[in-house]
Amino acid sequence: MRALIMILLLAGVLIELPAPALADPLTVEVVADPPVVSTVLGDHFEVSTEVKNTGTKPTGEILAHLNVASIEGSVYVDPEDWSSERSQQLSLKPGESRELSWEIQAVNSGQFAAYVVVVPFGGSVNGNEQLSISPLVKVDVAQRTTLTAGGALPVVLMVPLLTGVAAGTALFRVRRRRGAGT
Amino acid sequence: MTLQVAPPDVRTPEESRAITERQSGWLVIAEQESRDLWTSGRGLILLFLFSILLSAVTYLTSTNQALNFLEQRESVNLVLQLAVAVGVLVTLVVSADGISGERERGTLESLLVTPVPRRSIIAGKLIAALTMWFATFVVTIPYVWVLARGVGILGQALALGFCVGTLVAVGLACVGLLISGVCNSNKTSIAASLFLMLILFAPTQLPSGLPQGWFFDVLRRANPVDSGLAYISSILVNGHSWTQDLSYLITPLLTAIIAGGALILAGPRLVRLTPGVNAG
Amino acid sequence: MTSTTVEAVRLTKHYGGRSAVQDVSFTASQGEIVGLLGPNGAGKTTTIRLLTTVLVPTSGEFSIAGHPSTSASEIRRCIGVLPESSGYPAHQTGGEYLRFFARLYGLSRSKANSLAAELLATVGLEQRAESSVSTYSRGMRQRLGIARALINDPVVVFLDEPTLGLDPAGQAQVLDLIRTIAKTRAATVVLSTHLLPEVEDVCSKVVILNHGRVAGAGSVGEVISTALIEQSAELRVPIDLVERARTVLAGFPNLAIDQLSEQPDVLVLAVDGAGTSGGSGDVMNAALAAITAAGIPVLRFELEGARLSDAFFKMTSEAVA
Repeated sequence: MRALIMILLLAGVLIELPAPALADPLTVEVVADPPVVSTVLGDHFEVSTEVKNTGTKPTGEILAHLNVASIEGSVYVDPEDWSSERSQQLSLKPGESRELSWEIQAVNSGQFAAYVVVVPFGGSVNGNEQLSISPLVKVDVAQRTTLTAGGALPVVLMVPLLTGVAAGTALFRVRRRRGAGT
Repeated sequence: MTLQVAPPDVRTPEESRAITERQSGWLVIAEQESRDLWTSGRGLILLFLFSILLSAVTYLTSTNQALNFLEQRESVNLVLQLAVAVGVLVTLVVSADGISGERERGTLESLLVTPVPRRSIIAGKLIAALTMWFATFVVTIPYVWVLARGVGILGQALALGFCVGTLVAVGLACVGLLISGVCNSNKTSIAASLFLMLILFAPTQLPSGLPQGWFFDVLRRANPVDSGLAYISSILVNGHSWTQDLSYLITPLLTAIIAGGALILAGPRLVRLTPGVNAG
Repeated sequence: MTSTTVEAVRLTKHYGGRSAVQDVSFTASQGEIVGLLGPNGAGKTTTIRLLTTVLVPTSGEFSIAGHPSTSASEIRRCIGVLPESSGYPAHQTGGEYLRFFARLYGLSRSKANSLAAELLATVGLEQRAESSVSTYSRGMRQRLGIARALINDPVVVFLDEPTLGLDPAGQAQVLDLIRTIAKTRAATVVLSTHLLPEVEDVCSKVVILNHGRVAGAGSVGEVISTALIEQSAELRVPIDLVERARTVLAGFPNLAIDQLSEQPDVLVLAVDGAGTSGGSGDVMNAALAAITAAGIPVLRFELEGARLSDAFFKMTSEAVA
């Protein structure tokens, strides 16, 4: 009897304990444009994203962060090389939207995915927050030969030749002046 | 042989003064010093040797089949760093010869008895020394063109190299002239300038694996050459914007302002038969 | 009436505790050639550097062509200077060198070209105008330096040891040029030199410096008189006419006659109570005239103590003593 009473009391306590609450999802919608970019190695291109607060409360400080990943798996990608300013901080009122643009340079060839993820920012972050991510932008970068030995050879040879001839001419004139006096 | 002196054309002191004011002494000195530097072949020999160095770097880069886009961008950075390093070094050495060299060669006194103001003499020598930097940069242009056109940073690289290199070169040329004015021999002046360059370049050669604490950062930013090169790297290699790392340019700018200001203030007391700034 | 072009009043220059020049005063007029004499370290070069505004005096004043010492740039416009041991840029030609300085004095390129050519011809270097200065002999470099000193048609020309290192022919050329500069251009020439015989020949005025101070100043004759040097003379006559010469000279009561024991044909004459050198000179002249009138051949007659060098040595050694 006593055991039954203990079990019932324990069950009641457990029932009364509040369940761990899930963090409020980030009520932000991110749209990226264009969905596909075809470019050549070394060229710059721009991706626009629209970040919209679809919720009823202000977002607080949020951070939109650009990332690039290889979808071929064989290319090492350092996103820092693709774009030097990959984070943009903003805050949105309910219903407000903001357009962000990202200047990107294609520094590797192959197929890549560029996307923007929006994360909460600042001291109010507790962990376990839901993130908002844009659809991926597929980036096709064609290979381009940017430097060949043949293309460099004229400069490699001509510049020393020209400076050498100029130096030699000057030295010759100096010697001739000296010789004229003796 | 009897030497004859023809009666001269008479010119009044007022006419002389007016003519002197029309034609600036600093320009005449700059022109003559530059001509001496280049027609004697000294400057051209340095450029020739520098071009061989750049040709070697460019050729090795262009024949490297495994070179990727980023590494090619770094090679542009390397060429610009070489240009700034060599250009600034030779500018410093030329300016270090400016006053102490004239003293040793016995040509300074003849210059001092002309009506050209002392500050004009300094200005002329400064400009002549800077022609070394400008010539070094001009030689670098074709190499940067070859390396940078394929990676889309040609204009940026040239503009950056010119602006930062000129700022650093001006500052160090002023420092070189100051050293030249106070040293009692040309050998001391040039040795002191080369030692200064060694101090300025040594931190850039430290292994990158060393701890990069605040002290190293301060050391780097306090060095006009290193911070100038770091600024160039941050834009060309790291892709930063021109305004993102402007703090790197504080030291080169301050060096140019302080050394230039010291030259303007102390100039008349530096250009004397005896070294130093004490009243002579 | 000639104007005063150089006026130095109590010029003094100290280097720390050492006095390089002390209370040096002198004047020079238009067209004069002033010899600045003194042993090494006397302060000649320092004095010239003070007057040419290369050095700043510790005290004292000076004026050049009416411009006070405070107007350095005005003074530099009207002086020409050949510094001691002046250097020349090895890679420049003589023509380039003069054109450069002509332009520093404000001439246009074309006028600088023509003036340089004219001056090179003046100093006899027209054939070497386009040769490198490094191929010039010392004499040629000195002439080039003089040409440079004349570029601005100066009122006062300062020449510091212009004949240093030159052979006798070169020295004569330079001195001749100096003489002509003063005469033709009506320029004042301040000439620092060790060549006392040539100073006697060229200079209208001398200033003798010793240990930074003026030991004597004035015309050559005035300086010699001031030195109060006893004059003597050595007279050499044929050995068989020595006694006859003695007899003739005995007629001059103020004249002491001695004979050199090692050279019996040489009589040493000295004027007793010499007084001024002018008086001694008159007695000597009269004695010599008497000898020649007596038909005695004069094999040698050397006057001692009547030369600038005698005055110079006396003045500079007295100061040491």
